[in-house]
Amino acid sequence: MLLQLNNIFKWVQQGGQRVFLLKDINLEVEEGEFISVMGPSGSGKSTLLNVIGMLDTFDEGTYNFLDESAHTLKEKQRSNLYKQYIGFVFQAYHLIDELTVYENLEMPLLYKKLPSSERKAMVADMLDRFNIVGKKDLFPTQLSGGQQQLVGVARALIGKPKLLLADEPTGNLNSKQGEEIMELFKQLNDEGVTIVQVTHSEKNAQYGKRIVHLLDGRKISD
Amino acid sequence: MFRNYLKIAWRNLKKNKGYSAINIGGLALGMAVTLIIGLWIEDELTYNDYFTNRDKIAQIFQSQTFNGETGTGPAIPRPLEKALRDGFSDNFKHLVMSSWNNSQYLNYGEKSLSKTGNFIQREAPEMLDLKILEGDKDGLREINSIMLSESVADALFGDEDPIGKVLKVNSQYDMEVTAVYEDIPINNSFNDAQFLMPWEKYITAQDWIKDASDNWGNNSFQMFVQIADNTTMEKITSKIKDIKKNLNPDSAEFNPQLFLFPMGQWYLRGDFENGKQVGGRIRYVWMFGIIGAFVLLLACINFMNLSTARSEKRAKEVGIRKSVGSQRNQLINQFLSESFLVVLLAYCLAILIVLLSLNEFNDLSKKVISFPWENGIFWLSSFAFILVTALVAGSYPALYLSSFRPVDVLKGTFKAGPYAGLPRKILVVIQFTVSVAFIIGTVIVMQQINYAKNRPVGYDREGLVQIPTMSQDFIGKYELMRSEFLNSGAVVELSTSSSPTTQIWSNRSGFDWEGKPEDFQEDLAWTEVSPEYAKSLNLKIVEGRDFSREFATDSNAVLINQTAKKYMGLTNPIGILIKDDDKENPEPPLKIIGVVEDIIAQSPYEPVKQGLYVFDKEGNGNYYNLRLNPKQSASQNLAIIERVFKEHFPDIPFQYDFVDDKYGEKFASEQRIGTLSGVFTSLAILISCLGLFGLTSFVAEQRTKEIGVRKVLGASAFSVWNMLSKDFLKLVIISCFIAIPISYYIMNGWLQDYPYHIILKWWIFALAVIGAMAITILTVSFQAIKAANANPVKSLRTE
Repeated sequence: MLLQLNNIFKWVQQGGQRVFLLKDINLEVEEGEFISVMGPSGSGKSTLLNVIGMLDTFDEGTYNFLDESAHTLKEKQRSNLYKQYIGFVFQAYHLIDELTVYENLEMPLLYKKLPSSERKAMVADMLDRFNIVGKKDLFPTQLSGGQQQLVGVARALIGKPKLLLADEPTGNLNSKQGEEIMELFKQLNDEGVTIVQVTHSEKNAQYGKRIVHLLDGRKISD
Repeated sequence: MFRNYLKIAWRNLKKNKGYSAINIGGLALGMAVTLIIGLWIEDELTYNDYFTNRDKIAQIFQSQTFNGETGTGPAIPRPLEKALRDGFSDNFKHLVMSSWNNSQYLNYGEKSLSKTGNFIQREAPEMLDLKILEGDKDGLREINSIMLSESVADALFGDEDPIGKVLKVNSQYDMEVTAVYEDIPINNSFNDAQFLMPWEKYITAQDWIKDASDNWGNNSFQMFVQIADNTTMEKITSKIKDIKKNLNPDSAEFNPQLFLFPMGQWYLRGDFENGKQVGGRIRYVWMFGIIGAFVLLLACINFMNLSTARSEKRAKEVGIRKSVGSQRNQLINQFLSESFLVVLLAYCLAILIVLLSLNEFNDLSKKVISFPWENGIFWLSSFAFILVTALVAGSYPALYLSSFRPVDVLKGTFKAGPYAGLPRKILVVIQFTVSVAFIIGTVIVMQQINYAKNRPVGYDREGLVQIPTMSQDFIGKYELMRSEFLNSGAVVELSTSSSPTTQIWSNRSGFDWEGKPEDFQEDLAWTEVSPEYAKSLNLKIVEGRDFSREFATDSNAVLINQTAKKYMGLTNPIGILIKDDDKENPEPPLKIIGVVEDIIAQSPYEPVKQGLYVFDKEGNGNYYNLRLNPKQSASQNLAIIERVFKEHFPDIPFQYDFVDDKYGEKFASEQRIGTLSGVFTSLAILISCLGLFGLTSFVAEQRTKEIGVRKVLGASAFSVWNMLSKDFLKLVIISCFIAIPISYYIMNGWLQDYPYHIILKWWIFALAVIGAMAITILTVSFQAIKAANANPVKSLRTE
């Protein structure tokens, strides 16, 4: 068991009333799974992903990550979790514009405090694997969307995470680029990486081995 | 990791050139001001560092009380030397009597120079630990010896060996050069001691000095001591403070108190008020220190404001970094290292600014500060300075930026809340409070100077020239020179006086007159003058008559000033006799023949002192006062005067001063402070405006869409300008309301130090407010007008 959500509630106060973003969510994720989370806009997909990624908090319930209760973690322990086990891929890529491709890839390794020679080897590995060696000295703004997302995925993977969280990874891409990314995900999953992705697209959702549907913060099917 | 931070910081700086220029430029200016002020303070605090025994050296000071007012000064009577040597010699390592620093003519061969120096006792070179370059440290052993400073020796002898040469001093004494010492640097007491001659020569040269040896009442000398190693100044002071009173019961009525005034305090803490030490220049050290700190603070505020204003641009980066595993303190470190980089760059620029402006600053402040390239402590403290500045400027942005939650900023919906701008507004208010307070302070200082400058001085100082005539050569020559000068056509009137017009050198007491109140302890300024003194100065006689050569009896006549008339309680002063109250050997009484208008002979900020102008029987004053012929130019007149002078005194260098200039020197210190604070104020305003400029351009950029929508809906350019300017103007007005009471309080206190001072008027403050607002509007308008005139179609498309 990689992670387990039990009776998760999340709400905001609006005009004296509670508006529920997540309502009684129960979810178990085993290692090696590939889950697609679907649902219309505002159904809580991204919120769920953020809760899983510990970027966001929740108001009720428990969350165990690798048999540790994650919701009681301090910031420092949480960031250690990111470093070791979790990688993020965002819809808007979220690369740092002031850093080159190489430096963007290197950044998570810096936070892991790896020695320079090891970092070099790992970045070179990734560049090689994603076929972007020629782009390593370019800045993100000099790349196409698909290439940027490729760098985004590479950055998420460089720390060898157990869990990859992707929030509409193909949302800003055309269909061909999107397909490439999804193929990549599938291949990664085959190699043993657990993936949770949020998506609008029926077609992309089919890459997952398991599909979770949300509506108004509730899980309606699994 | 650190390199990664710096890389990002550097690329950010390069990307936003305007912002970086404002940030670095503003910081550099602020740091340059602080650096210069720091160097100035260092210079002030290291005064007298040249003397290795400075912790053990003191000067004997004396406080005396007249009519309840206590005056304190270094003048002491000669018998004190014997008293201290006889009874207290264990307490001192060295005891050194000295004359005042006076100018003397030094002649060697063809060369004739006027230089200043002291007659001083033999142990002085040892006590001051003078660096002897040639000759003997014990060079004042023989009565006819002289020790020269290096520059004087060079000027007189050039390449020749000075030791053993005999030079003529004041055309009177032949003195043999026994030693040459390194010039005492300007930043030290005794720096005007360009030569030293033996005290023994001094006390045998003139009768009045000889006679003073057992006269406790003649406070005309000074004494320096180096205390013994096993005691303290306080201990010695407690032993000696009453010895004058005890040994000379006559003086007891003035309660003379003697004390040791340590060398470490001479320069910075030399002011006494009613017998108590009340500071001195140290006030200005504090003042400029505070100014420096504030200017730097203003620059740091710019940095904070611009960094946090740009936060939305950096927010995404914070989110990404947090989501790949960065901890908050790592982000704090990152932003701090960014501010470190900016501060480091600014510091380099600041050094450049300092190097370029140091000469100007030296001129302004009358200093010879050089850049301390080789001073390790300077670089060490510079490093600390950079760190502290980076911390002050960077801590708030670092804490603010690193607090963003990734989920907020990565959604792309991040907008600063309604109160996010509040700290920024508070900082702007602080900036403008300081700036407005600086403006008010500077205006008041300038006003006070002008007020004192415009004070009626009582005589006509334009076209009045003074020539020092202290040397023996001038004795008995006055009548001759008078007719020579008058005949030359360059001078319409002249007189002699025992002290220059702009000073009082002598004060006397011990008189009696009709109607003198019981137990009244008078203290009267005493100036001996030739009969034409009032005429040469264009000094108005308000009662009675001037001196006249026609009346033989005028040799015992006296003119008093208006203040003296009031002070002595005389309603009908003419004809009153001022008698010497010495019963045994009285001098002939002086008869008041007239009252002259008060003239400012001392501080222009103080009331005029009561004074007597006594007929100088011999006509051997210390100065000639020459009224130049107004029909010719001053340079023509002076050329003629010099020719006449040289005909009669070929060996004496021709020296003169315009009384107007001498009077102007009284303002030098205040003027300097006025100019410096003016410069620093301008810089403070400039820095604040830079920040405001940056902020406005930021706000304009942020509100581009809003402005576009408003314009599409029909807003005029004026209303957009108004909307953008109003916010900032409001802040400046708040600042004014904070600044006014603070500056009123401080400046009012400052003015109380000057008995003759302006009264603070409301319009000074109004002026500062209007000025600050005008500056704000100008600064803000540049961006506001640009934004207001932008084509809305363009700005809306960018969204």
